[in-house]
Amino acid sequence: MIQVDGTLKTRLALWLLVTFGGLGGFLMIEAYTSAQRDAERAFDSQLQAAALTIAEAIQWQGGEPLVEIPAAALQILATRHQERVFYAILNANGTSITRNMPTIIDPQWRHKASQRPIWRDARIGDTPIRLYGYELDTAGWEAQDPVQIWVGHTLAGRHALASELFERAMTRFAVMVLLAGLLMTLAMRGVLKPLRKLRQLLRQRENDDTQPLHARVPKELLELTETLNSLFARQREGRENLLRFTADASHQIKTPLTGLRSTCELALQSRRPEEWRQALETVNDNATRTSRLAEQLLSLARLRHASSEHERGSFDLVALLRDCVMEWAERATSRNHDLGLAPLPDKAMMVRGEPWSLHELVGNLVDNALRYTPPGTIITLGLQPGVDTVTLIIEDDGPGVPEGLLSRLHQPFERAGRHDAEGSGLGMAIVDSIARQHGAILSLGARSPTGLCVAVRFPLENAT
Amino acid sequence: MNASYRFWLRLACLCLGGLPLSWTTASWADRAQAQTPLVVAAALDHQVVAPLLQAFERAYPEIALDYRDLSTLEVDRYARQADPAPDVVISSAMPWQMARVNEGLAQPLNSPEAREWPEWAKWRDEVFGFTFEPIVMAYRLDLAKHMMPPYTHADLHELLITQPELKGRVTTYSPLRSGVGYTLFQQDARYSPRFWDLVAAMGAADVDLQETTRDMLEGLSEGRYWLGYNLLGSYAMVWAQTHPEVMVQVPKDYALVLMRMAFIHRDAPHPLAARQFLNFLLGREGQRILAGKTPLFSVLPEITGPYTAQRLRDQVGDHLYPIPINATLLAFVDPQRRDAFMDRWMREIQILDAAK
Repeated sequence: MIQVDGTLKTRLALWLLVTFGGLGGFLMIEAYTSAQRDAERAFDSQLQAAALTIAEAIQWQGGEPLVEIPAAALQILATRHQERVFYAILNANGTSITRNMPTIIDPQWRHKASQRPIWRDARIGDTPIRLYGYELDTAGWEAQDPVQIWVGHTLAGRHALASELFERAMTRFAVMVLLAGLLMTLAMRGVLKPLRKLRQLLRQRENDDTQPLHARVPKELLELTETLNSLFARQREGRENLLRFTADASHQIKTPLTGLRSTCELALQSRRPEEWRQALETVNDNATRTSRLAEQLLSLARLRHASSEHERGSFDLVALLRDCVMEWAERATSRNHDLGLAPLPDKAMMVRGEPWSLHELVGNLVDNALRYTPPGTIITLGLQPGVDTVTLIIEDDGPGVPEGLLSRLHQPFERAGRHDAEGSGLGMAIVDSIARQHGAILSLGARSPTGLCVAVRFPLENAT
Repeated sequence: MNASYRFWLRLACLCLGGLPLSWTTASWADRAQAQTPLVVAAALDHQVVAPLLQAFERAYPEIALDYRDLSTLEVDRYARQADPAPDVVISSAMPWQMARVNEGLAQPLNSPEAREWPEWAKWRDEVFGFTFEPIVMAYRLDLAKHMMPPYTHADLHELLITQPELKGRVTTYSPLRSGVGYTLFQQDARYSPRFWDLVAAMGAADVDLQETTRDMLEGLSEGRYWLGYNLLGSYAMVWAQTHPEVMVQVPKDYALVLMRMAFIHRDAPHPLAARQFLNFLLGREGQRILAGKTPLFSVLPEITGPYTAQRLRDQVGDHLYPIPINATLLAFVDPQRRDAFMDRWMREIQILDAAK
């Protein structure tokens, strides 16, 4: 049984949510790191600009650097976020020319800065700051030692910019999610529209309407509609079979009833008791046949009805066959025939099914053989074990059935064109039904030189 | 001295006030404990700011205000070195105040008053410029009898080089001994290169360098000086009201505006009281008193009164240039820049003497 709870929409939405959740998480991390990086870059370049501005203001007097800190450089350092600003101008041996920065620059940084400009994260007291160190080495009339310019500021602006960038990215993402959700809702509606139409179409159908669906649907649904159409076709076929069966059955019952009526009418016109008696015997015969017909019809109806699973059990086909043959051999109807058993396998052949219906199957086959063959015919029953199967065979050396009729024999009321022998024509149909219920295959074949061979191949239980 | 006198006076008042209720030491101790002390180190004349302080004491009787009137250098040293630190630091030496805040000596003030304070008059929400004091020229009436009084910096320069009578009768701030004076001259030098001509001319006129505006004003009243340059307008205007011989001129080309800067010390022992004090100072009431009862001029545009920035602008026009409260101030306290400035000052002030 298929168990899919909830609506397709919620399933789709859920998947969408998972997708967006995963993507969103990734995007968020990406947005956060890139916001941080962009903010760092923007403010690092401010540091650079401030250092350059200071460098421009350095003058040399008698080989000594002199710097009049430009106010603009400090304003650049402070940025519009009003950072606390720090600077230090150091000469070649690390002593300060001028500064407002506490001594936090260690010789290693100075060494690195002498090779190329460096950025460093540092602390003044408890306050984290960002530092930029840059060495100025210029030519001059006199020998000039290089000068290092160190500038730094607090991080408020960086944090503010980073969170602003991050928030913007998040807003964009949220808008995207909302739009995507909206579009997906519309899309889902559009996509599921054929399904909805199909549903309406099915709902509007009459109970007994078995016409195929007239719907042009997307590829994915094509299979479904085709399956439905074939289901309808089978239903139609079943109904037609049922109608034919009912008509046939009525016809079959009508014939003996007509015979009964005419026999009775004739008897009523006569005044001779011996004629009455003869009529009564005919009536009795007729009634017996009719009641057997009714019985068979009933059993066929019962068989065609959904079988009840719980009655099934596992039993030995060999024993069943032996019992059946013994039972039939004792009956009067088999007195004129040579009913016998072929050698049976010496181990049990376990088959899954209902014993009573298998009993019925064998009975019908024997009954058919007895009924449609002339006296003296040899009828042999046997079991042939296969790999995973066991085949029940019943054969006779009677006149046989013409090749063209073999395939129709299992249909109800089919008597291979013979209406002489008394019989309902339901036997093979019943056999066929029972065989189908047990997953067995009924096959009919001619036997050489003459006769009929009926084989029913059962699957063995626990066959590996 | 003033402050400690006031402190003892307040103690005496407290004792006497407690007398009629209960003559016990316990109740006196209770009241002393109930009052939170608040130490304000300020380079701002107590006399000038008294109305504001009185209003504060009325509004917050639970705070025992200890107002210490000091010089700018003393205030700076106090803020840097004293332990315990002062709660609130007020000074007119703007670059030094800025340097202390940049060092991290201030704590931010998070209040509606601080938030609504004009952007141009605060930095990092830590330090606030709460006054608007124009820098003026002042002259004695005697001067007007002999010559056209100066209206602009150029006029002043012209007078100095053309009027020999002014020799020895000119005064201004000493850039070496006064932080305010140094700041003003630095700012002057930024606005015009001709400032150095003015310095040279003043040097030639044997300028007398003073430490405070009060000294200059007293000299003017006494007749020692005829002309004073770069005086604090706030003090000069009040002085002129009671000393008719002194005239105050707001320069007509440009006038610098100095702002007293106040911040709460990072290590303030009484931060709550300090915040209350600053909020009062920046709030409407404090600014109304500043505008009405002191010559310090209120910064807030919506305040009305005789002393407001707005009214000053209406009177003297748009050429008021407040010294900006931003990182550029830090350049003024850079030791090498200061040395270079002082070198040049020394050179320029005697350049004309040397030429003779």
